[in-house]
Amino acid sequence: MHLDPFELHRPETIAETLALAGRLAPAFDYLAGGTDLLPNYKMHLNVRPHLIALDRVSELQEYTLDRIGAMVRLADLDRDPEIGRHYPALAEAVHGIATPLVRASGTVGGNLLVETRCFFFNQSYFWRASLGFCLKADGDRCHVVPQKEKCYATFSGDLAPSLMVLGASVEIAGPDGVRTIPLDAMYEADGDGIRRVRLRPGELVVAVHLPPAAQHLRSTYRKLRARPSYDFPELGVAVSLRRDGDRLAALDVAVGGLETYPRRFPAITEPALGQGLDPERIGALAQAIQAAVRPVHNTAYPPDYRKRMTGVFVRRALTDLWDRRGAS
Amino acid sequence: MDAAQRPEHRLIGGSIPYIEGPLKVSGRTEYTDDLKRPGMLVGRLLRAPWAHAKLLRVDVTKAREMPGVFAVLTGERYPTPFGVLPITKDETAIAVDRSRYIGDVIAAVAAQDELTAERALAAVEVQVEALPEYTDPRMGRTRVDAPIHEKGLNHSNIQKEVVQHFGDVDAAFRSAAATARVRASFAGVTHAFTEPQCTIAEATPDGRLTVWSSTQVPHYLHRSLSEVLGLPMHRIRVIKPEVGGGFGGKSDPLPHEIACAALALETGRPVKILFDRDEVFYTNHGRHPTFNDVQIAADAEGHLLGYDIEAVIEGGAWSSFGTVTTYYNGVMAMGPYRLPNFRYKGQRVFTNRPPSGAMRAHGGTNIRYSVEVALDQLAETLKLDPFDLRARNALPPNSTTINEFRITSTSFLKCLSAARDRSGWAEKWGRLPYGQGVGLGCGFYISGSNSPIHFTPKMPQCTVHLKADMDGGITVHCMQADIGQGSNTLLAAIVAEVVGVSLDRVHVSPVDSDVTPVDIGSYSSRVTFMMGNAARKAAEALRDRLLEATHQLTGYPRDALRVGVERYEVEHRPEVGVSYMEALQQAMQGTGALQSTGAYTSPPVGGTFKGARAGTAPAYSFAAYVAQVSVDEETGSYGVEKVWAAFDCGRPLNRLAVEGQIHGSIHMGLGQLMGESMDYRGSRLMNPSLLDYKILMPQQMPEVECLLVGDADPEGPFGAKEAGEGPLVATLPAVANALYDAVGVRFYDLPITPDRVLKGIDRRRAEGRSWKGH
Amino acid sequence: MTAQPVLRIRINGHPVDVPAPPERILLDLLREDLNLTGTKRGCDLGTCGCCTVLLDGRPTLSCLTLAAMADGRAVTTVEGVSSGPALHPVQQSFVDHGATQCGFCTPGFVMTAVALLRDHPHASREQVMDAISGNLCRCTGYTKIVEAILAARAAGPA
Repeated sequence: MHLDPFELHRPETIAETLALAGRLAPAFDYLAGGTDLLPNYKMHLNVRPHLIALDRVSELQEYTLDRIGAMVRLADLDRDPEIGRHYPALAEAVHGIATPLVRASGTVGGNLLVETRCFFFNQSYFWRASLGFCLKADGDRCHVVPQKEKCYATFSGDLAPSLMVLGASVEIAGPDGVRTIPLDAMYEADGDGIRRVRLRPGELVVAVHLPPAAQHLRSTYRKLRARPSYDFPELGVAVSLRRDGDRLAALDVAVGGLETYPRRFPAITEPALGQGLDPERIGALAQAIQAAVRPVHNTAYPPDYRKRMTGVFVRRALTDLWDRRGAS
Repeated sequence: MDAAQRPEHRLIGGSIPYIEGPLKVSGRTEYTDDLKRPGMLVGRLLRAPWAHAKLLRVDVTKAREMPGVFAVLTGERYPTPFGVLPITKDETAIAVDRSRYIGDVIAAVAAQDELTAERALAAVEVQVEALPEYTDPRMGRTRVDAPIHEKGLNHSNIQKEVVQHFGDVDAAFRSAAATARVRASFAGVTHAFTEPQCTIAEATPDGRLTVWSSTQVPHYLHRSLSEVLGLPMHRIRVIKPEVGGGFGGKSDPLPHEIACAALALETGRPVKILFDRDEVFYTNHGRHPTFNDVQIAADAEGHLLGYDIEAVIEGGAWSSFGTVTTYYNGVMAMGPYRLPNFRYKGQRVFTNRPPSGAMRAHGGTNIRYSVEVALDQLAETLKLDPFDLRARNALPPNSTTINEFRITSTSFLKCLSAARDRSGWAEKWGRLPYGQGVGLGCGFYISGSNSPIHFTPKMPQCTVHLKADMDGGITVHCMQADIGQGSNTLLAAIVAEVVGVSLDRVHVSPVDSDVTPVDIGSYSSRVTFMMGNAARKAAEALRDRLLEATHQLTGYPRDALRVGVERYEVEHRPEVGVSYMEALQQAMQGTGALQSTGAYTSPPVGGTFKGARAGTAPAYSFAAYVAQVSVDEETGSYGVEKVWAAFDCGRPLNRLAVEGQIHGSIHMGLGQLMGESMDYRGSRLMNPSLLDYKILMPQQMPEVECLLVGDADPEGPFGAKEAGEGPLVATLPAVANALYDAVGVRFYDLPITPDRVLKGIDRRRAEGRSWKGH
Repeated sequence: MTAQPVLRIRINGHPVDVPAPPERILLDLLREDLNLTGTKRGCDLGTCGCCTVLLDGRPTLSCLTLAAMADGRAVTTVEGVSSGPALHPVQQSFVDHGATQCGFCTPGFVMTAVALLRDHPHASREQVMDAISGNLCRCTGYTKIVEAILAARAAGPA
């Protein structure tokens, strides 16, 4: 398989990157690890004439426990025991991404912005042509939920749910300067499914920030998939909580792999604060979240199963975290 | 272990590392795509995006005129049909008049590079008329408007129908004390070898055509090239470079191989066609999607009275091996048990989906699953231990089945004992906590099809030539196809063993039809048995020449001499003898290089009724596997923790290779059971990629204990039988029966994915049936 | 047509200058331009792991790496794992344990295993299985591959 010719740009600073982006938008893609973009390019999915490679922008590669650069390789997080010690959910999510070989090249920013997936989209040009293409690439209709308005491709990143429940925010650089917003605010929740993130033309995700409080959370990330490596999440559940004696002082749940964006459930989790958790309350929380999610049939497992597993995974995660000894 | 047997042979029976191993681990092995020819062009295929269409016009004018394009071919250039079975030739190199599935080849282009080739394909203009799509083999079995092939039975899509009845099945069921029935469905699965198909062809001005191809059966490719291209076979040279796995998927001659040769003839330039991974999936020829219905009758003591079997298997677009597959889906149930009555009705039905064909444990896997699950049900009904039920019905050695299969060696009872003892069955079966269980599944498979797919009857299935020359090396020539199973190593080891030389003296020639005598290739688990016997004969002939020379040099009579290590010596005075080189030099006087030949022709076995040859083999393998599983009852996910694999391959010749075949077979069998599936929506394959077609990972592999308990087979080389396919079939029912022991649910739809496990548990509970207190 | 950029890559210890357009994939550069065919093309989409090379010592999917990304860096392919005729201990262990069958995936597994044992000379069975879980093998069921890597631990320089 070959790539169609493109022009490759290799800036070395964020400023240079933004200048290029401003000049080339919207006819470019950022190239981070390439493990998501290049397979899509090989399949001629939404190919653009310019690539701005970020591998030489050293500012993007810095990381501390508070601030993780967008170009930090997943493998580097994976092998850092400090990540596991302070952010269990993040470590579990990182380790579960794709394969060790993909993590060697794949980046934090790349996983946050991973293209949504669908088995009508992630196919060769020939395959898609045989179906008359789809809303997400080269066509005008959705084959998952037949209509022409909304794309139902599934958000399949593992990092986003885990970082959300850790209270992460995302630092975005653009022509108008730098802004930092809560991570969940970056994702488009009620759009057409095509525009996935609330980034303005030419903007660049620079880093993820983790608040000091994140280190005091119990957290976990659980992933449903057919095999212990390779597979994108059929469901990813991230849960964090802080226990103050017998009372719940903080609680957050986020899921991925189910809908077009990674999703939190504040309306369900916030009322639980201040109380204790017992099997009954845990079961009610899990049921409420299970009832709220709306998977569609565009991944390996059927949607009713993924929905049911949402309840099981949330319940198990809550039970484990509430009972976990030694943590806060 | 076989310690008692070891001193008998130096190499055979031990663990012999693969002779090409050092090349493979250092990247020095040449697969077809590693080869380049001067001036080589890139060949690409235009594939049909329609499930079923009449080709009204395929206009390649614009494509031909593009710079860098050397040839564009359509179907009418070489319309002669071909196919692996002489009786069902229905494929063409490029579709003629009609395309039959998404992925069917409708044009071929040769161009200077890949990009140009793809642009040329995009410039081909095709007009079609859509035809009705047939996507379920259970439909299209009566007269239809537009059958996929004209020759379908009574204007239907039935490619082959088999009806067999031995004994009186109805009477058997009337007299039965207990019966069991399994109606099951099986998704199609595919080989998913790591090396995509690749072919290079080159036509030279001397009127010859050379084809390098990633094939398991160079000889069938040779035949098909000749037939379709209209060239005599002696003007075609077929070379098989190293092959990156086959498992049956590279055993048919395939359209792209012939199209590639056609492009080479057309352009006068070498042409290479290398598949993208999705093309590997479209080409398929994998295991047939199957629906079967198995009924078993037994008396009160558990003696089997009869089987009544129906199967509908999905052929996809072509016949391929399908006639054989249709028979196998019945007759592979003939062992490992004695059976007085048997009825089978099988149909293979064309659909507008990628062709099915032969895949490891061809035709035996799905029927074994249903039979072995039904036997587990029968044992429960009769309150018998599943082992006792099987042992009570074991086929005895030197017997004949009701359909006249000749059974010679069987160590099935030893397999049962070994699996039972080693697995701790008595303490585990029915006694593990809820969610954990053990199950038994048994196997039976041919050790080489007795009935070769030969276009010229009465030819040997395998011929081996040896050449020993002045350098002291021995070159082995044989067209057997090592596709990773270790047949090169076995050839070398047999020769070294018999001639009495060190292994490094023996060189296995690359497969090249100009040099290597015909062997009909790697399929039907035939290579060890047939090639092994041919190699042994050739080596014995060479050895005899060297012993004769030793006699000349020492004056001792022939029958007083024996083969030593790199030496021939007097039996009762081992200090008297000559070295291999001395004997060789003596033997070469006046003749130069020594040559010898050995061949194998299978014995006349089997009945004379229609279809009697299907499933006949010179020997059969037997298996008894116990699997232990653990189920998460809330998620339905499960793991296979251990498999005790008792296998009768006669006497193992290379323990390392036999273990490797068992591990690989279990991996592939578990894959089909746990998650592999060719997922279709209508005519469209949804998962033509190695990401979405889910091969198992190392963490999903159980610990495997190989129990090689077979006794020597009387006709196998050094007593050996096959170990390449039989080890797969027992895997699936062993795990399914273990799942039943764990959670009390029978599974009749494969693959058994976690969502199906969960639904099964739900259903059991809804029926008010508890299991182990849950 | 503008001149192609020339990349300088240290391949198996030797610096080479090789012209390549921006869209050139590292795997294609190795196989087509440099005739290093030990690195295999199994899926071209980053799944099978047959194309694994070491990029600055790190196992990397060469089919998903632009050749330009290797400019100024070191690439080790299976041809460069051992120096001279002797095999690397990992390679020798693969031979001894029958960890190759068809051999097509083997170069990728060897590269992964070499890097693993360099970084973790005493890797556990779990670490081994984790490390190879991006390389597909269809022949061996992985069993003998895991055995071979575990056995190479003791044999290695560690």
